[in-house]
Amino acid sequence: MNAPDRYERFVVPEGVKKVSYERDTKIINAASFTIEREDHTIGNILRMQLHRDPNVLFAGYKLPHPLQYKILVRIHTTSQSSPTQAYNQSINDLDKELDCLKSAFEAEVARFTSDY
Amino acid sequence: MEGASYQRFPEIKIREMRDDFMKFELRKTDSSMANALRRVMIAEVPTVAVDLVEIEVNSSVLNDEFIAHRLGLIPLTSERAMAMRFSRDCDACDGDGQCEYCSVEFHLRAKCIGDQTLDVTSKDLLSSDHTVTPVDFSEAPATEDATDNRGIIIVKLRKGQELKLRAIARKGIGKDHAKWSPAATVTFMYEPEILINDDLMESLSLEQKKDWVESSPTKVFDIDPNTQQVVVVDPEAYTYDDEVIKKAEAMGKSGLVEIYPKEDSFIFTVESTGAVKAPLLLLNAIEVLKQKLDAVRLPEDSVDADDFGELGAHMRGG
Repeated sequence: MNAPDRYERFVVPEGVKKVSYERDTKIINAASFTIEREDHTIGNILRMQLHRDPNVLFAGYKLPHPLQYKILVRIHTTSQSSPTQAYNQSINDLDKELDCLKSAFEAEVARFTSDY
Repeated sequence: MEGASYQRFPEIKIREMRDDFMKFELRKTDSSMANALRRVMIAEVPTVAVDLVEIEVNSSVLNDEFIAHRLGLIPLTSERAMAMRFSRDCDACDGDGQCEYCSVEFHLRAKCIGDQTLDVTSKDLLSSDHTVTPVDFSEAPATEDATDNRGIIIVKLRKGQELKLRAIARKGIGKDHAKWSPAATVTFMYEPEILINDDLMESLSLEQKKDWVESSPTKVFDIDPNTQQVVVVDPEAYTYDDEVIKKAEAMGKSGLVEIYPKEDSFIFTVESTGAVKAPLLLLNAIEVLKQKLDAVRLPEDSVDADDFGELGAHMRGG
């Protein structure tokens, strides 16, 4: 039996970096991030959050192949920012949004259970 | 160099909340966040499910692997799963997956002695840990005949047949195998905004109005019996099928109604298998998504001189 282990889909193999990034050789302030063992869940929220940043000129992601468990995120920014800065900022913003959502939901559960 | 924040402040409103079902409105965020939450609830919130079965005696009509598969699909209460360890990265048992930190043991012994067929159900599965047991819906007040509610049938035994086994339940996620998915269904839809052109509507006869209201496959519109005006009774029944718009056009009244999906407003329905209660499922999904985001942060050392921006790129000959 030579089937690959099922967990290979979501466990980063040893010696492989979760996130690596490579600067574009031709365009300033453009870079590609390779995120191992992630999919549309992360790719799409990152992309949409990056689009909210006016310093980001381009942000896109792709899942190159369904059996290669990684995504590529490409970011191009203005000279006021940098791809790594925009990338970090978008993660921070999403993290804060989820904190906000969590406390909003907890407050709503408390309100709902006391009302009914 | 700290950039400006482009954070959103989402709002949430619960419509219905039970242990196995929840309906809520999510506002002031976009579809990527709604879809990420849906995907995480289905495939990445951990639960506990039977993963290894050692069969001692099986003289039932079902073969061993058939029974093992059925055991795997039984939902087990998994409130504790978030705090448990995955067997593959458990230090206490070297990935053996048999220790108390990453597994729960079950025993099942059943033998049919009488002439009556014996149903072996999830209630015959005896857990070594009272926090992880087969999901039991019989306490739910909704079920009227709680007397013959005997859990989920695993196999039926005839006189003389016997089943004896040991099962190990482990933590896992739906991405690995659907048996670990805590969600039966999770859906969301855009909240529709329905605008009726009143002037144009009044140019229709009552017969035409009835005809138009009937053209919708779901009951979205109705006619007020007193004023004979067309009213929206249930905007969420609209399935974005465009039938009423086509009908209006066919009647030569295009623009009679305009329907837009509100792109920052979602109606979610969450149905749980019972492994994790619906409200906790959403909270766990938020937590899992946060952990995932944390994992994709750039490690400190790789954020090199890039903060110089353009200048940094020039210095490197970019």
